[in-house]
Amino acid sequence: MELKFLASDRVEAFVSYIMQKKTVYAPQRAGKHSVALKKVADPGAVVLDYARTMQSVKKFFLPPRDELLQFNLADQSFAPAEVKPLDAVLLGIHSYDRAAIDRLDYNFSQGHAERNYLTRREGVVWVGVSFEPDEFHFSGSVGIRPHDTEGFDVFLTRARDGYLVEVLTNAGRELTAGFDLPATDQAKPQPGHFHQHIFLPQAKLNEVMGASYNNPVWEETAEKCVGCGSCNIVCPTCYCFNVEENVDIKVSGGTRERIWDGCMLREFTEVAGGEVFRGGLAERQRHRVMRKFKYLSDKTGHPWCVGCGRCTAYCTAGISIVSIVNRCISDYEKHAATAV
Amino acid sequence: MKLNELVPQQDPVDLYLPVMSEIRDVRPLTDLETLYTVALPDGRDLGHQPGQFVEVSLFGVGEAPFSISSSPTRKGVFELGIRKVGLLTEKLAELKPGDKVGIRGPFGHGIPVEKFRGKDVLIVAGGIGLVPMRSMINYVLDRRDEFGRLIICYGSRSDKELLFTDEMESWRRDPGVDFHVTVDRGSPEWEGNTGVITTLIPGLELDLGKTVCCVCGPPVMYRFVLLALKSRGLPDKSIYMSLERRMKCGVGKCGHCQINHSYVCQDGPVYHYPDLKSLEEAL
Ligand SMILES: Cc1cc2nc3c(=O)[nH]c(=O)nc-3n(C[C@H](O)[C@H](O)[C@H](O)COP(=O)(O)OP(=O)(O)OC[C@H]3O[C@@H](n4cnc5c(N)ncnc54)[C@H](O)[C@@H]3O)c2cc1C
Ligand code: FES
Repeated sequence: MELKFLASDRVEAFVSYIMQKKTVYAPQRAGKHSVALKKVADPGAVVLDYARTMQSVKKFFLPPRDELLQFNLADQSFAPAEVKPLDAVLLGIHSYDRAAIDRLDYNFSQGHAERNYLTRREGVVWVGVSFEPDEFHFSGSVGIRPHDTEGFDVFLTRARDGYLVEVLTNAGRELTAGFDLPATDQAKPQPGHFHQHIFLPQAKLNEVMGASYNNPVWEETAEKCVGCGSCNIVCPTCYCFNVEENVDIKVSGGTRERIWDGCMLREFTEVAGGEVFRGGLAERQRHRVMRKFKYLSDKTGHPWCVGCGRCTAYCTAGISIVSIVNRCISDYEKHAATAV
Repeated sequence: MKLNELVPQQDPVDLYLPVMSEIRDVRPLTDLETLYTVALPDGRDLGHQPGQFVEVSLFGVGEAPFSISSSPTRKGVFELGIRKVGLLTEKLAELKPGDKVGIRGPFGHGIPVEKFRGKDVLIVAGGIGLVPMRSMINYVLDRRDEFGRLIICYGSRSDKELLFTDEMESWRRDPGVDFHVTVDRGSPEWEGNTGVITTLIPGLELDLGKTVCCVCGPPVMYRFVLLALKSRGLPDKSIYMSLERRMKCGVGKCGHCQINHSYVCQDGPVYHYPDLKSLEEAL
């Protein structure tokens, strides 16, 4: 792959250039400490060197509130929600967030292929950027490295005084065509080191997690957990939703909408008659973690956790998914050792 | 294999748009339950299997899953037996013939009737579990020569809460049906069995090699019924169970109905009992 060079002082010009071709969404400052993915108005506001956004790119394809249909109460008619392709450049995306979209694509394509999500997914040009693992990232443990270019059309790797640019697809070539990116003989730098690790590869984890159903770690985690569901809301691969009706103030019509929901919330499994199928926080934690590391990976061969570290970084109770999984691994190994 | 190679290419479809359908008849079953007869537009047939469900919605109120209570052998319209428990079901109870409801479905895996053909069919239904099981009961009655004996065990909390009492009378009189009913607590007028549903099972006349059973009822019921069936010697492979979970989408997207790795709206609601053994959260 031929490497080109984008000097730090030309990033703004590069963003301006691609903005002429397509709408651009990119990480930008949101308040003092956070960075969020937003539509770019000012190319100078784009931040390519960041740890993580609180919300991933998921929000563009599966918005927190998403209209399904509009109804008219007078004549009981309805119209499907108008859903348009995003048709934009997603710039400055990390490899784990791109990998998360592969998982959502799977969910919304398997079985019944869903128009709402799949329509929005159209027309996206992905421009990735490498990241420096911080104290929460552990995507290396699920096979996703900071420099992975999988799924991107263009990839920027942080280097001395700028970025090494790989143009990977035709869409990437179209996007960058006409902008002067000189060739460089700089080699791609070694990716940064992770500070968090799961101690076993996924291939082994299925077996470990399968044996961890009754591990005390679920109860111990539940003692700290407040059941707020933040971990679900910030997770780039969580896709569960609830459906609500929204009636307008004149009570003449309204919308049916889906809203992000979370399996950590008690009502998630409540049915008429008062039965709650996962009534305890321990059961809900187990479900959340098993979903990421067992249920869906048994089915697909891919872990449903991409190692972004969000659920841990934003947990008000300081619960770490890496510690939970590692505890399951060490108990499993201890058990195996004593069984011999 | 890469994730995108795991799914076949297919055209995306609108999954959440209801078909506006007409309520043809409304018949109270008890103080709480009502039987609705519903017709799809243009005389279209629902084309369901016994045990499947539909999503029913009212604009501005909500949408929820309900089992189809009529047999697919009875074409043109279909029936839903609905208990008033909350927002949507209270509003449904106010509907009159001619009113419209939104219908999506049928969804899920129902009873695999082909596995029941030529067999004695044992139905164990607790409470509102009779609503979906009635679809199978009438299916068997309408295709009488395709099945062996029909044995029905029905349990209810009290005789005031018994559903489909008129049809029960005809089942009782039908020499081809072995019908048993019990109530937890009977009123002074009640002359039938009292006791939980499992008390009916020891006395059943069963040809174990020939019997296939389907169970549907409240969550607490399943373990006890299983124990009773097992102590009669009915093999696991002859048992099917219909499970209820919270459902929103009905099409495997919203995640609500999940039991371990299984989506009830897709793999269920009717499960073969041997398949449930790997689902720790199932019963
Ligand atoms: C496959 C399946 C088949 C069903 N068949 C029947 C049937 O034949 N007849 C019948 O009367 N009921 C049936 N139900 C239950 C029915 O879906 C609920 O009674 C209905 O959702 C309650 O809606 P509501 O708006 O009136 O209640 P709400 O006002 O929403 O709430 C009342 C109670 O219902 C619970 N609830 C909310 N949503 C659901 C949901 N999606 N599923 C279950 N409980 C829920 C709430 O947690 C609460 O406890 C079935 C459920 C499933 C999953
Ligand atoms: S009801 Fe939505 S996934 Fe099953």
